[in-house]
Amino acid sequence: MNRREFVSASAALLAACGKPAPQQKTLRLALNWKPDPQFGGFYAAPYQKHGLEVEILPGGAGTPTVQMIGAGSAEYGVISGDELVVARARGNDVVALFAVFQNCPQGIMTHASRHVASIGDVVKEGTLAIQRGLPYARILEKKYGFDHVKVVPSPGGDISAFLRDDKFAQQCFVMSEPLQARHAGVEVRVFPVADLGYNPYTTVLATSGVQLKSDPDHAKVIVAAVREGWRTYLDDPLSTNTRMHELNPSMDAATFAEVAEAQKPFIEQGELGAMTAERWTTLIGQLRDLGDIPQGLPAQDCFRNL
Amino acid sequence: MKRLLPPLIPFVVITLGLEFVVRSGLVAGYLVPAPSAVFRALVDSRDELAAAMAKTSAAALIGFALSTLVGISFAVLLSSSRAIQRAFYPYAVFFQTVPIIAIAPLLVIWFGYGMKTVIASAFVVSIFPVIANTLTGLLSTDPALRDLFRLYGASPGVTLVKLRFPAALPQILTGLRVASGLAVIGAIVGEFIGGAGLGSVVDIARTQQRVDKVFAAVLLASALGLALFGLINLVSALTLRRWHASEAGQ
Repeated sequence: MNRREFVSASAALLAACGKPAPQQKTLRLALNWKPDPQFGGFYAAPYQKHGLEVEILPGGAGTPTVQMIGAGSAEYGVISGDELVVARARGNDVVALFAVFQNCPQGIMTHASRHVASIGDVVKEGTLAIQRGLPYARILEKKYGFDHVKVVPSPGGDISAFLRDDKFAQQCFVMSEPLQARHAGVEVRVFPVADLGYNPYTTVLATSGVQLKSDPDHAKVIVAAVREGWRTYLDDPLSTNTRMHELNPSMDAATFAEVAEAQKPFIEQGELGAMTAERWTTLIGQLRDLGDIPQGLPAQDCFRNL
Repeated sequence: MKRLLPPLIPFVVITLGLEFVVRSGLVAGYLVPAPSAVFRALVDSRDELAAAMAKTSAAALIGFALSTLVGISFAVLLSSSRAIQRAFYPYAVFFQTVPIIAIAPLLVIWFGYGMKTVIASAFVVSIFPVIANTLTGLLSTDPALRDLFRLYGASPGVTLVKLRFPAALPQILTGLRVASGLAVIGAIVGEFIGGAGLGSVVDIARTQQRVDKVFAAVLLASALGLALFGLINLVSALTLRRWHASEAGQ
């Protein structure tokens, strides 16, 4: 869309709804989990300084943020890279703006006492709690087979089943559940999913193509605010953690601090939030090979570095 | 045919309407699947869905059977004395209000992953309507008939079997109708946490943003609920048609 088209489109839009300019209305940012350190920068972001009014909507297990963005029930949302690719292939025009985790923080956690050498050995016996719909679960299955392991649904962040059974392995955030397990006195070994060669961007701020087209400058402003927020949070997470702990008392203050520290290396790699077409191309190829998307799609449509 | 026509009309209208709404782009296909997409998912994944359906059916049926057995027995016990009723009925209400999604993870801890957890979940959510309705039925026996039984010196056991239980059948069957649908819901919620069956299919399809497959599985779950409902209606027709107005009219 060129500038003149944009101006007339915006004018038409304004005339049609008779509302104040979009910058002044409250924007909804939908999270896919409860307030915790993985969203620290979103809570720390100085939206008001940038002239934005942002309401953060905390989520839970299965909050369909990607569909919410597509349906317009949230202007912005946090999703994972693979979700975005699959959504685009299904006609849901969602665009990534800022990738918090440059390396995928997901992994498989096992008891250290099992002395397993590789992620392939984890599925040779015992129980594995994993969301089978996730691409990396199926890559794991394709590569090693699930014939010798009992696969059960992921219990979310709950590690009680893990603690009771030495042969129990479960999917995890590498800086979250392993910490809880160690606190409970169990030594663990964690295998990052990236070991499988699967490394999508995660905790990705995304918006809809429609929203982006209707006001590209606005997206720029929110990305700037979020980037500033992450810088603040990485440098000094304390005050933000206190605020998030109030919203999510189930995670104690010490854990907030520990996780915020542990996640740093996954986030700080070059410019905060920036993405490359190569990484998206790799991901698209992997999802196509898995059959999650019928054919490839252009990587450059998936994201904007603003 | 005359009985099939009334439910068929809304089915056809809603299906065609949905198909139109999605095809014309009024609603995006990734939010609401077109009925044709759901049908395709049913056909494409038929083996997987059939296996899942078999597991869910078995768990829901067993859970429902347990609810029927335990629920009716418990209600008979409650109806035997005011004191017992006062002591235990409040606890029966616990089952009515328990948020199954909250206790389902505990069921996994108690019963382990797999079928037992799923059956327990189906049982927990479906037992209360059986208890409540059976109790109401047992307590509303016609006083005149009860006096008659007493006059002839019938024992409490005989009164229960020959009078109170048969007289309570319409209410018991109403309880079972409600419980049958709940047992299916309970089984599927149990499967979200315990694994296997249609619940697992829904969980996986949801992760993959396959709304068509989610709806296909949900459709099968409703079919299961309908089948159970039909079964109870059959029992109802067979047992009540000679004396109760609700069935005799048909």
